[in-house]
Amino acid sequence: MTRLRNLLKASLLSSLLLLAVSAEGAENGSKPVQVKIGTILASNESDEFDARLKPMERQLKVMKYRSYRLLKEDSQSVPWNDNATFDIPGGRSLAVSPQDSKDKQIALKVRLTEGTKPLLDTTVRLQGRGYFLLGGPPHEGGALVISISASAQ
Amino acid sequence: MPAKNFKINLAPFMSNCETTREILGAWLDGELVPAQAEACRLHVDACAACREERHKLERLHSTMQTVLSSSASKVQFDPFWQGVQQRIAQQSKWYDELGDWIRGIFTAPRLAWAVPAVIVIVLAGLSIDSFLPNAKLGMQPDNLATVESIDAYGRNVALLHEGETNTTVIWLYQPQESENDSSTEPSESKPSF
Repeated sequence: MTRLRNLLKASLLSSLLLLAVSAEGAENGSKPVQVKIGTILASNESDEFDARLKPMERQLKVMKYRSYRLLKEDSQSVPWNDNATFDIPGGRSLAVSPQDSKDKQIALKVRLTEGTKPLLDTTVRLQGRGYFLLGGPPHEGGALVISISASAQ
Repeated sequence: MPAKNFKINLAPFMSNCETTREILGAWLDGELVPAQAEACRLHVDACAACREERHKLERLHSTMQTVLSSSASKVQFDPFWQGVQQRIAQQSKWYDELGDWIRGIFTAPRLAWAVPAVIVIVLAGLSIDSFLPNAKLGMQPDNLATVESIDAYGRNVALLHEGETNTTVIWLYQPQESENDSSTEPSESKPSF
């Protein structure tokens, strides 16, 4: 009888914990998204590799440039379906808007503009804490590569 | 032994045999207060039936005392006590201690608490991202990205997904004349994936 009572207590406690975790998960849907941007200059003018980019070295070297230098990093907390704008060197700007979250993936709507001229619109679904690279705009004899990541808070 | 004060109405001093027999044992054991004891004695002296009851009780006491005294002498306390002392003094073996420890773990109350503890650990592992979104914990982030749409407004664009490093790159080919910063090497904006 005592054993049964203890097992019942354990089950009750487990259920409460599950409820607490589920509630936490449900709340995440309404919390803002942390969007992080890294602007990197890729070029062939030297063999310099910025030590701050070490964690993403293998990913950057897919592009076969010789040199990678981190120009700036920026991070903003963005509410769902809202917009955050990041300044990109060369008079450009990047607008990022988190759309929705499904299976721990965050859909981001990204628009790159130069002045008032739109250069690129894309929607990318990202794994939590993961990032993708947007490259190409020429800058200082090389090309800009922008790493874009998002994580639900 | 202190005298007991029985809450019995003794007036008119033990004229009732039934009442006297209730306290007869206590009187023989010397547990009554003096007034009660005297009343009981007076009744027993005057009542043949209660006197006979008193004799029966006295014989029972005497017989029990004799039996217990003779039996107690036969009990071998010394070997028993030596065994107890030996068990206390001896060092228990490591495997006995291990067995005791394992038995202790798997007793019902501890096992009952182990169930939610395991659930908590598993849930904590699964939901670490929810509580600590920025914690990397030595794990490489999963860079899996799915590009749902691209519009480059008439410009050329390349989409690369490199499986080994799980890298997704969207490469925008911009005509050099649109670059504000003057570039001496037009080929720089074209990567060789």
